[in-house]
Amino acid sequence: MKQKKTIKWRRLDNASKIFPATITSIDTKVFRLSCELYDTIDPEILQKSLDLTIESFPLYKSVLRRGIFWYYFESSDIKPEVEIESLPVCAPIYIKEKRNLLFRVIYYNKRINLEVFHALTDGSGSMWFMETLIYHYMTIRYKDKLSDDIPKINYKASISEKMDDSFEKIHNKIENRNKKSKRNKEKAYHIKGNKNDENRTRLIEGSMSVKSVLDLAHKYNTTLTVFLTSLFFYSIYKEMPSNKVIYPVILSVPINLRQYYESATARNFFSTMNISYDFNKNSPELESIIESVNDSFKRGLTKEEISIHLYKLMSLEKNPFTRIIPLGLKDLTLKIANHINDRRITTTISNIGQIKMPTEFQDYIHQFSICVSARRPQITLCSYKDNLVISFTSPFEETDIQRTFFKYLTSNNIEVTITSNF
Amino acid sequence: MQYCNHCKIYIKNKRERCTLCENILPDSNDYKDSKTFPIISPFYESHLVIKILVFISIAAIVISFAINIIFPATVNWPLLVIFGLLSIWLGLIVILRRGYHMPKKIVWQVFIISLLSIFWDWKIGWKGWSLNYVIPITCVSAMIIMYITAKILRLGSRDYITYALIDGFLGIVPILFIVFNWVNVIYPSIISIATSIISIAAIFIFQGEDIKLELNKRMHI
Repeated sequence: MKQKKTIKWRRLDNASKIFPATITSIDTKVFRLSCELYDTIDPEILQKSLDLTIESFPLYKSVLRRGIFWYYFESSDIKPEVEIESLPVCAPIYIKEKRNLLFRVIYYNKRINLEVFHALTDGSGSMWFMETLIYHYMTIRYKDKLSDDIPKINYKASISEKMDDSFEKIHNKIENRNKKSKRNKEKAYHIKGNKNDENRTRLIEGSMSVKSVLDLAHKYNTTLTVFLTSLFFYSIYKEMPSNKVIYPVILSVPINLRQYYESATARNFFSTMNISYDFNKNSPELESIIESVNDSFKRGLTKEEISIHLYKLMSLEKNPFTRIIPLGLKDLTLKIANHINDRRITTTISNIGQIKMPTEFQDYIHQFSICVSARRPQITLCSYKDNLVISFTSPFEETDIQRTFFKYLTSNNIEVTITSNF
Repeated sequence: MQYCNHCKIYIKNKRERCTLCENILPDSNDYKDSKTFPIISPFYESHLVIKILVFISIAAIVISFAINIIFPATVNWPLLVIFGLLSIWLGLIVILRRGYHMPKKIVWQVFIISLLSIFWDWKIGWKGWSLNYVIPITCVSAMIIMYITAKILRLGSRDYITYALIDGFLGIVPILFIVFNWVNVIYPSIISIATSIISIAAIFIFQGEDIKLELNKRMHI
């Protein structure tokens, strides 16, 4: 008898639901992870590595489809293929009614890029896919040189753990349900500028030594993330028109929830916190910004504060009334809600953290970087070995904030190398 | 690597001006680094055919009204030109719409052709041809076309059963025409009803499980 194949499908997790609804031609909700090697990429080996990697990440084989009430992932048997880079950075991936995979693997000269639609997973989830891909690439490409000490692959979690919808799991465990979140509802300063041609994303990557930035951060008695966040505030302030100073600058900072709720999911599992600084009432000196940002981070990163916000987000999704709204209307509502929420945020800064690969590979890998499609100049950063890469993506032609940011670092004797797609 | 004296910054990939301050960079001969990003030329989406069609449609409407004013006729025929063009465009839009896959386009066409035929039949003095022939024949042909395209395009059953089912139910609608005595030629309607019932039965018997799965998936709350 013929084997009958049933088609598997999955619900989207809480954080994913917003992404398909809020795609625009500027902000495609796509992010890119890049790994730069010392040698030119071999596409055939990359394809082989991809074929191996996809087997450990079944969710990556899904396509996104529209139901009557919700979007859902449907498993597919599409084979992902590596391609040479031929589209702008973070070009759209999800196109309504087109059933394609929600990620792409592209290469160019020495770089391997993984571009992912955010509904599929977040930065940390996809970095994991990237690490596995690079692992396979390394072990095939440098088999002879590594022959003595090929490191073992680190799967980190079972397939089902990776497929886990962690939001769903923690929903009933969230404490502090009845506390109201104290987020301010004031309008934030918005950066304006001239759009790039064809709404393309302008990417400017600055790579530098982790140690030198850490030393500078330590001089101010703070951490790398707090220091760079403060420097971002400072750079935004420097380019702010004087009549707009009445609005506070509010940065949204994504929080990786895996460390707070013991999850090993390869799907979305993050929340955000808002860090605000009012230049109208406070000193524009970097020292005082750092002091204030430091406090906000401490407050925002307590489990209590995170859970209050999380519960609020999830209760909306669980509300029976919101559930039965047809998808088209839901999309519209989400668009409006997103727009309102957006008024309270200036931009985003996101630190993916340190990327660890087996030490045996370090002679072949130069650096990792991450960037994301952006409505406004925004920062994403990550580090590998002693290479810190800070990526600015922006829909605007102006590069003043970027210049102020990097010039501050170079004026403090940090050597910065810039790469740009424009 | 090039160096910008103003920004005190190193710049990878050869370029004339600094990425950050746009000052002209000193020429350095050390360009060994390969390009990090490809140069991607702008996309020109060409919609020339559609633009020409839109232009012709507008010109045709304006000319027909102009002629009608110069040489008045008893029938308001320019209005018919507008309706005719609108009908063509309605059909075209559904066909040309990107992303819609074949079965969906076919079901849309059935809707549009049925409604338009009723409209035209009514507009040029009710003769009943829309209900007599057009609607039943459209439903039956859609069923046949859907089956053939599914085979040619090798669509998985789940890709088209929902649409086949919708079309099947539409094909039963002519039963109302007979019951309420709206038609004087009953053969096309009978054929349509019979084929639809057989096709729905086939779908439920052979693909009942798939239908259940599809509905579960699409209707989950």
